[in-house]
Amino acid sequence: MSAQSHSIRKQAKALFGEQRLGPDQQTRIALFIQGVKGINAAILAKIEFQPLEWAPYRFLHNQCFKEVELSTLIARATEWSTNPAVYMDATSLNLALWQETDAAKYLQGPFEIDLQFYEYLALSHAFMADIRFLPLLPAHLPLDTPFLAALAEIEEENGRQIQSQIRLLKDLDLGLDNDRKEALIERKWTVVESLYDRLLTEVMESMQESAGGEE
Amino acid sequence: MPSFPYKGNDVYYELHGDPDLPVVSLCNGLSMRTSHWAPYFQLLPKLGCRVLTYDMIGQGASSKPILGLDFDDHAASLYALHEHLGIERPYVMGISFGGVVVQKYAYTYPDRVGGILPASTFSEMDEQLRGHAYNLYMGLVRVGFEFYLDLLTPLNFSDKWLRENRELMHIIKRVGVSTFELYGIQNLMESLSHFVSITAELHRIKCPALIMNAEYDALTPRHLHDIMRRNIPSSRLMLVPHVCHAFTLEVPELTSRLIADFVRQVEGGLWQGDQSVWIANDDPKGEPAAFPCEGDHLRFIPLPAGKAKKPAREKKPAGRAKKATAGNTGSKSTHAESSTAGSSPRASGSKAGANSGGKPGTRS
Repeated sequence: MSAQSHSIRKQAKALFGEQRLGPDQQTRIALFIQGVKGINAAILAKIEFQPLEWAPYRFLHNQCFKEVELSTLIARATEWSTNPAVYMDATSLNLALWQETDAAKYLQGPFEIDLQFYEYLALSHAFMADIRFLPLLPAHLPLDTPFLAALAEIEEENGRQIQSQIRLLKDLDLGLDNDRKEALIERKWTVVESLYDRLLTEVMESMQESAGGEE
Repeated sequence: MPSFPYKGNDVYYELHGDPDLPVVSLCNGLSMRTSHWAPYFQLLPKLGCRVLTYDMIGQGASSKPILGLDFDDHAASLYALHEHLGIERPYVMGISFGGVVVQKYAYTYPDRVGGILPASTFSEMDEQLRGHAYNLYMGLVRVGFEFYLDLLTPLNFSDKWLRENRELMHIIKRVGVSTFELYGIQNLMESLSHFVSITAELHRIKCPALIMNAEYDALTPRHLHDIMRRNIPSSRLMLVPHVCHAFTLEVPELTSRLIADFVRQVEGGLWQGDQSVWIANDDPKGEPAAFPCEGDHLRFIPLPAGKAKKPAREKKPAGRAKKATAGNTGSKSTHAESSTAGSSPRASGSKAGANSGGKPGTRS
């Protein structure tokens, strides 16, 4: 993790310890999570066109539906904002999410065991492993609101779903050595890390604005 | 945050204590991080040792490669860290997963170690440990990190500790879930997936070795420590009373004393690596620090060593039953007494202290 990311997450942790996540912040987080889950579900929708005996099929076929389920869950658990500016910001971030991850590239054509498939696996691994809110919340904070409980449930489910990515990233033979594989994974992680940093920065700014408005 | 680069990864470390003191390097167990050793940062320097702790690659603040790393790299990265810090002859202590790393370190780099302290660990796996490892792994990957911690907790801690910390358990678990990356811990576990016994290599460990095993360690049981004791030439086995697998977390004061005493003995030329078995004093400040184990150290039932098993008696006719029962009772009583008496008077004193509720130190 870059020093900048480390610093942003440290600041977010401090702020989340002081202030609760209100509707504006919940909306930003929920739309980002839905963006991430939407990308993964859209790409994975192709999996149903693969032959049953295609080895990665059994690893990935239920992940598509699970992502849709989690997206619905966060939608139902969110206290939605009534501030149009929040939706404008969130849409801008979701556009960046599609552009910077190159997600559209993975929607084209059938899956094959190739570099593009490996890149997709690296991207979805970063989605599930790097975008975590629980480490930013104080350990003593009860997860007893619908929103926080949903975040916890999503992270727990991500831990199970990511097993498909872990196995395939480790075991797929693309003729690359581990160092080259790690470098490729690292590139995707850097992109996701930066997008998540942007979300956290916007959430923190929004919290500071809300706090300022209350004074 | 101090860190050093190893094969493109950052290894986070902390050093505490006077630079002139002998260094004790502490190697984490699987789901540990440097902060778990926090009490030792104060305790060991007071007892004359400098402390080096670090997060293995995959843990805590160190890098977590997605594809993992080879098990042999753990010993190699520790060696590289010692090189980086200019530490020539460290005492290397490691618990559980870290204990295996320590053994590997000792026979791979025999000239760069003053002594080792493998604790709650193994050189080969038995079927019970394989079963636990399988359950922990499947719990981690199929249910989640929280459930993995749930499985581990009753193996790690004594009932007493769990009762005393009941209110804190959910916070401890939340901190664990928040601070670890599942894939990092999974990679560490998977680095052991092709583990083959290193018992045949243990004779190559030439340095002194104090092997530590908790009294009620059900994860890495006594006989696995005994294999190390029998195969490491200059070893002793120290049994740590009343505690379980993660005893370093539960009794840091006692553990620090055992570590510091070992270092002092080796540094002073007093170490006797006679492969004997010892029992640590309950009291971390009590004298002596440990006494010889005179019973059968491989048994939970406290039979004296070498005592022949008595055959079960057949039922006697009714008229003689009373006498027979009395005889049996007498035999059991004598047996129990001889077991207690079989330990040294120091052992009895220690036991009396514990029974009277006078358990001192951190566990009180």
